[in-house]
Amino acid sequence: MLSRTSSRCVRVGRLSILRTVATEAAAAASEPPAPTLAQTPRPRKAPKPHLSTSIILTRAPILTRTPTPFEQAYYSYQARIRRALHNPFPYDFYFKQGTLIETRFNLEERKRERLAFGPAFLPKEAVSEEKRAADTAAVEQLAQQEGEGEVLMPRIHPSDTAGDVKSLDRRGKRNLYLLLQTSESGKDAWRFPQGDVEKDLFLHQAAHKDLLAECGDEMDTWIVGKAPIGIYKPPQPEASPEMAERIVFFFKAHIMAGQVKPQGNHISDFAWLTKQEIETRVDKHYWDSIKDILSDY
Amino acid sequence: MSMQVAPTLSRHSLTRFQRAPKIVRKLRRNPKTGLPTPHVKIVAREFAPCRLEDHYHTTLKDDLMYMTYKHQIGEAPEPRKIRLQFDPENPYTKFRHNPPVGGSQFHKKPSAPSTPDNTIRLEKIQLHTMVKEAVANKSQLLPAIMQMKALTGESFQGGGQHAVEGIQIVKAKKSIGGWIRPNIPVGVKVDLKGQAMYDFLGTLVEFVLPRLRDFNGIVLPPATLSTKTPSSVSGVVSFGLPPHALVFFPQIEVNVDSYPKLVGMHIHFVTNATGIGAQDRARALVSGFQVPFVRR
Repeated sequence: MLSRTSSRCVRVGRLSILRTVATEAAAAASEPPAPTLAQTPRPRKAPKPHLSTSIILTRAPILTRTPTPFEQAYYSYQARIRRALHNPFPYDFYFKQGTLIETRFNLEERKRERLAFGPAFLPKEAVSEEKRAADTAAVEQLAQQEGEGEVLMPRIHPSDTAGDVKSLDRRGKRNLYLLLQTSESGKDAWRFPQGDVEKDLFLHQAAHKDLLAECGDEMDTWIVGKAPIGIYKPPQPEASPEMAERIVFFFKAHIMAGQVKPQGNHISDFAWLTKQEIETRVDKHYWDSIKDILSDY
Repeated sequence: MSMQVAPTLSRHSLTRFQRAPKIVRKLRRNPKTGLPTPHVKIVAREFAPCRLEDHYHTTLKDDLMYMTYKHQIGEAPEPRKIRLQFDPENPYTKFRHNPPVGGSQFHKKPSAPSTPDNTIRLEKIQLHTMVKEAVANKSQLLPAIMQMKALTGESFQGGGQHAVEGIQIVKAKKSIGGWIRPNIPVGVKVDLKGQAMYDFLGTLVEFVLPRLRDFNGIVLPPATLSTKTPSSVSGVVSFGLPPHALVFFPQIEVNVDSYPKLVGMHIHFVTNATGIGAQDRARALVSGFQVPFVRR
């Protein structure tokens, strides 16, 4: 999107130049030439900006969000209303009478009703104690045969408790972003993977190439779209019109599989971090330009 | 803080409720059914967190905004008015609605500029089926109605939501000699929105599509197709499932034998995209929910 903007500006500039030339030509035809106009030196053009691309490599959430206590209470209240208002369930349509599956459904349904409306809500069942015990035993056996009761995996990964920031399994409910620790010209800094744009390369192609150059090719990634999603202009040590402006274009990418393998001596470390953790590691100036790109979830 | 909260939480559970308050006022009786009617309107809303909706908000929405973003500097120029209108100065037409000849030509208009509000989203999923035998005998619609009911669980104004239309009977509009007459029931349709929509989408993507042998994905039209056809500017992605595919829905799988005959159905994913290229954006959204597409 931004590249298109710049091209449009360029086109407008050229048009205006053509137009001035045309009027000058018209003026030259009608009037004698003014010698002073030719002698004034043209103002020096600012040097071309130095372009880089940077890739915000994201690991999307792999776990659902835990509802807040308010949401939990709201959901269970709504579930209770829903249970109270639902249409009658067509037992005959779904179960043959007297089957084990029907018995299981009835037992589970009574349990759910008790949970929703309290123990006093349901009338007593008109079955003998032996029958009830036999039913329960049969249903338990069925559950064992079907392999129910498997323990779910915990929602907190060992890498969370160990504080391992290199694992892709950490903080499953959040968006994680790849940050590299680099030492360039004697300065240590955390930043996203970054590289320069070579000549005759589109920005999104350059982004892909730069990602491979810094993070290795041992991962499957996908760059979202062809347009950059943000821009960063690093502070220049001394502002002079002679110096080329530096511009970094951000691209979003997703990691599907694999892991980062830093390439080159200038990268000392990498980390998969949430938005809040990134704020503590990067410069203030850098943070101001990336904070609105990163997700709060 | 947590020290103070903990005992309160243990005393009042968040998910269990105490005994309902005793009803002191006399409840009105519904004149038709004779059942007591509460004094307030009770509406059943979302009762569980919705995984696919979360996925849309945390991952898909950002990506789709970046992929479909169209950069526009300043305000778009007013389109040239080349189509004829009645003379607006004429006293007869001065204060009348004066559309251009040939309609609004919405299929030739570019889509609206990208804003955070019009990022593409799924509005509804429509399931639709036509039963040919119902033309001769309308009771043939009953299996289709039961099948839709089992698939979606929707009922008319279900849960007190007045906008929920449940399972609707589709009636013929035209008269075709020797076949159908206007106003005879020929089909069934359901509109799914919100949580029900995402639940259905999840079932479709995880249980049904992977188990279909002859389904590689929704077939994309050839690249030579005009981008200005009504279907490609309305932001809807449609495909159909044959009768044998319905067996794979868990809601039907449990008692397939109870249905005398399963009927296939059309599935329409309706999005909020309009204008040129709307269908492509809709495909990008739907493929984000892992519905595959293939090229012929």
